[in-house]
Amino acid sequence: MKLWIGRAVVLVVALLAWEVAASMLNPILYVGPSRLPAALGRVLSVRYLPPLGSHLWLTLGEVVAAFLLAVASGLWVGFVLGLQKTLGRIYEPLLAVLYAVPSVIWYPSLMLFFGLGPASKIAFGFLLGFLPVTLSVLAGIRQVPESLVTVAVSMGAGPGAVFRKVMLPAMAGTLAGGLRTGLALSVVGVLVGEVLGARAGLGYVLTYAYGLLMTAEYAALVVIVAAAVLTVDALGALVEARVRRWAD
Amino acid sequence: MTAAEAAPIVVEGVSKRYQTPSGAVTAVEEVSLTVRPGEFVSLLGPSGCGKSTVLLMIGGLVRPDAGRIVIEGEPSSGPNPKKVALAFQDPGLFPWRTALDNVGFGLELQGLPAARRREIALGLLEPMGLKGFEAKYPRELSGGMRQRVAIARALALDTPILLMDEPFGALDEQTRLLMGEWLVGVRRRTRRTIVFVTHSLQEAIALSDRIVVMTARPGRVKDVIEVPLPFPRDLGSPEVADLRAKLWGQVREESLRAMESSA
Repeated sequence: MKLWIGRAVVLVVALLAWEVAASMLNPILYVGPSRLPAALGRVLSVRYLPPLGSHLWLTLGEVVAAFLLAVASGLWVGFVLGLQKTLGRIYEPLLAVLYAVPSVIWYPSLMLFFGLGPASKIAFGFLLGFLPVTLSVLAGIRQVPESLVTVAVSMGAGPGAVFRKVMLPAMAGTLAGGLRTGLALSVVGVLVGEVLGARAGLGYVLTYAYGLLMTAEYAALVVIVAAAVLTVDALGALVEARVRRWAD
Repeated sequence: MTAAEAAPIVVEGVSKRYQTPSGAVTAVEEVSLTVRPGEFVSLLGPSGCGKSTVLLMIGGLVRPDAGRIVIEGEPSSGPNPKKVALAFQDPGLFPWRTALDNVGFGLELQGLPAARRREIALGLLEPMGLKGFEAKYPRELSGGMRQRVAIARALALDTPILLMDEPFGALDEQTRLLMGEWLVGVRRRTRRTIVFVTHSLQEAIALSDRIVVMTARPGRVKDVIEVPLPFPRDLGSPEVADLRAKLWGQVREESLRAMESSA
């Protein structure tokens, strides 16, 4: 309870500070929170901007496609490299390099390969989401206690039963964490892709408003996108917490 | 009496070498041992003497480099959950399974239906003082309870042979003594052949029909000592004191050798 009061105070103070700061600056460039509700109304009424609904669905579809691709290939690559130790050792430095390089530098080449449409956004969302999934599988496999595998083998479990009944449950928490991070990064990838160059999607609407110097609408859109992303992440957190409660 | 009944476990001249970064190490050398039906045999020796390796070889989890293991008349070629069950120092309970589902794990692998697994697991947990704890997860149990669940999981396989690798090694002294008394009871009820690895003289004397003393690495059989005392044993009796003095003389010698060779 105290925590929530504290959080509410922080929020109110931040909004007030934002309002005061914005009121002292150029209103064309700086939008205070008091102007947001009206701007939200304009954005949603679709008088000046492309209709939000279809763009929202497009972005969501791109995120889902990117994330599913990231999960499918991340799990596959992770398990192949994690279970084939030699192969894993060969590819480990490559993964580390891929992880260390800021992924946004790949984006121009993705646009060249896939064009301005959704494909390049899906590819970028995939690229960002893929690594955390793969790395969580690798970390998860290393985490499986040897003693549990020994117990299962001593009771006659073959490789398949060890995988299903020991490894998967033992790594479920780590895996859920990796999937959640992958989802968050797939969202980032798709949005960044849309902002950097697109003809549709939430990121495109954002840059459109920004390009026309409709700063209040732009700020309202940021709030909408933030709310959407938080909702997706909260769902991910919920699933992760459930899995961890079960597995740990 | 068939040959199988005569000797549930025959260890014939087994040796085991391990490759380490600093070269090959012989853990076990030329160990032979015949365990009689229903017998409780302890393997006693300094740490690193290969007693656990001998146990794992009997359990089919480690393959000997030389010699062979015969379980109820059949040469062993790997884990044999129909005949041999193992319990380890680390209870190795599955944290995502309740006590009941942990006990049922081996039966699940054998494809027994859930209702039957439950029945067997409950029947094992109750006399172990775990009634009311069936639905608890390992993290909610004390160390002694976890170890009992792990032993119940091994007993659930209903094998004629039970192998135990320092199962009470991680418990405090009091719990350890109580678990020893409890194991004597389990043994009397179930009439199994048990091979028990320990480095505790007290534990070996309290539980065993025979104690196999092993040498420092490479592990060989140094001596085999019969313990012809009835159960439950009075650990304060003069016979036990004599036996402990005799065992200590042997184990001390080997422990000193182990320390010298590792220093």
